[in-house]
Amino acid sequence: MAFSVRLEGVQKRFGRGAREVQAVRDLTLEIGEREFFTFVGPSGCGKTTTLRMIAGLETPTAGRIWFGGQDVTDLPPQKRDIAMVFQDIALFPYMTVRDNIGYPLRIAGLPRAQVNEKVEKVAATLGLSDKLGQKPGQLSGGQQQRVAIGRAIIKEPKVLLMDEPLSALDARLRVEMRTEILRLHREISSTIVYVTHDQVEAMTMSTRVAVMDQGRVLQVAPPRELFRRPADVTVATFIGTPAMNIIPATVVATPGGTAIELLGRSIPVGSRNRSALEGLKRIKVGVRPQALRLTSPGIGRIVGQVFLKEPLGLEDEVLVETDNGIRVKVITEAGSDFPEGAAVGLEAEASDLYLFHPDSGAVLLSGIR
Amino acid sequence: MSRLQRAGTFSLLLVVLVAVAFPFYWMLLTSFTPREALFKPPFRLVRWDFSLGNYRELLFATEFARYFVNSLIAAVGAIVLNVIAATLAGYGLTRFVFPGKKTFAFGTLFSYMFPPMLMAIPLYILFSALQMRNTYTGLILAHMAISLPLNIWLMWQYFQIVPLSLEEAAWTSGASRLAALRQVCLPSARPGILSVAIFSFALSWNDFTFAFILQTDRKMFTLPVGLASFVEQTGVHWGMVMAAAVLVSVPTFLLVFFLQRYLLSGLRTAG
Repeated sequence: MAFSVRLEGVQKRFGRGAREVQAVRDLTLEIGEREFFTFVGPSGCGKTTTLRMIAGLETPTAGRIWFGGQDVTDLPPQKRDIAMVFQDIALFPYMTVRDNIGYPLRIAGLPRAQVNEKVEKVAATLGLSDKLGQKPGQLSGGQQQRVAIGRAIIKEPKVLLMDEPLSALDARLRVEMRTEILRLHREISSTIVYVTHDQVEAMTMSTRVAVMDQGRVLQVAPPRELFRRPADVTVATFIGTPAMNIIPATVVATPGGTAIELLGRSIPVGSRNRSALEGLKRIKVGVRPQALRLTSPGIGRIVGQVFLKEPLGLEDEVLVETDNGIRVKVITEAGSDFPEGAAVGLEAEASDLYLFHPDSGAVLLSGIR
Repeated sequence: MSRLQRAGTFSLLLVVLVAVAFPFYWMLLTSFTPREALFKPPFRLVRWDFSLGNYRELLFATEFARYFVNSLIAAVGAIVLNVIAATLAGYGLTRFVFPGKKTFAFGTLFSYMFPPMLMAIPLYILFSALQMRNTYTGLILAHMAISLPLNIWLMWQYFQIVPLSLEEAAWTSGASRLAALRQVCLPSARPGILSVAIFSFALSWNDFTFAFILQTDRKMFTLPVGLASFVEQTGVHWGMVMAAAVLVSVPTFLLVFFLQRYLLSGLRTAG
């Protein structure tokens, strides 16, 4: 049976005095049994440190870690019933594939015949049956990663930890292995905690994602919700490609109530949403490149010039410089009739606009109604 | 490469080879030449009066065999203790954080710079007080004093290139720290360990200073000291000295011959 993993006020500091680094600040969250939970964020955000604390490879400076009902904070990795896949794969170079995969069972003292039987079963699942006699150095990067995964799942750990397992692979292999890991998650009964800096990996594989930045968790949510209802401007720009456009705007009082002045255009805010903007003058407006449309320039529209156009295949990524000198990214259908240098108008539904607090970055409104 | 260049390269190599190999050849030749024939002209580069007389005399009329055994015991002892101590020290230096770590690492390198003679006299006084002169333990410890600093430094360098994630993978697989060290870390550090073994052997096998000063009892002489005593007697029996030299170089030769692959890779890392 798998475990739930609970972090309670977990902190980690490295170094002392002036050179002290706060890698993780006051982290509290619970990962459910059999969940595929991902920590995502830019490098140095504390995601790997968090994973290593769950593994027992680092000791938290403060806080407790629970596996199910057991406090494991002071347990070494050997006693936590976990397995881990490392970023640099970390296969034992002097052992054959068979010995690498079987290592956890041999350490546990299982008889040779039983180890072999299980190794062969795992190898078959991972398509490694014909590689068992080889050394890791003779395998390709993808095969090595499979062996590392095999070594991790063979003893059916309660919690399977993965630290950027795909970052050493090339783009095509990465996509392939993503599917493979997802399939494994369905087959094995472990809770998976996954760390990556690649938001696409996080979005495609996870049941829930924690977005981290500077040692803090900004938001924990299922992928779709993270995309649709980001908690703040950092999450909003980190999740989704290309990144969400963030445009400064002002809140103005109009005869009809309140409106937002965005790039020379006024957008009325309905009475239901007015309270969210109370007392604010300047705000930030976010809009995803996919939510913007290019039109012919006209009155009442945001106008600008096509600055750069990058064909992506099915779509074009168009960079528009508005008359106020702000650059905005737009995704359009390939081959739209606005060449570089052409004057264009920009349109978006008010419901596709996100409003953020100018200082804290916290979301004020997800869509204006 | 043109023919001429090849010829040039090979003749140069030949010159170097002759310069290096001739002394060895002369040693071998002399050791097999009967005593009476040695100083009798003509002196030829190739001669046929082959005899094992020098060897017979060396093995049965002198204490050579005892010196050889003494040297072997000291060398094996130095190898075993050096490997254990240097491996654990190198592991500790790379895997643990403790105060004074840097000072310790530099200290070992610093202590390597003392000439043996500088340490021999304090060691003589110390070992006299501890009644460890004329013992194998004393000699082995003295040999460690000169070889261990460099060995620790070598293993320190070596463990730095063994990725920590290998051990962490072993720990998360359930292996204890000691099991991970033995099964994962040591195989990766094997070339380093062999370098330590060879270096310890070479220093112990060739040491004259410590053995000469600490081992005053004839029965405890090692080969270098014993050989020197052959020379110091009224006449020098060159044939026998050369026979001894041949036998002394055999273990070194065998060791280097079979382990040179590891020795080279060890030197590459440390250099």
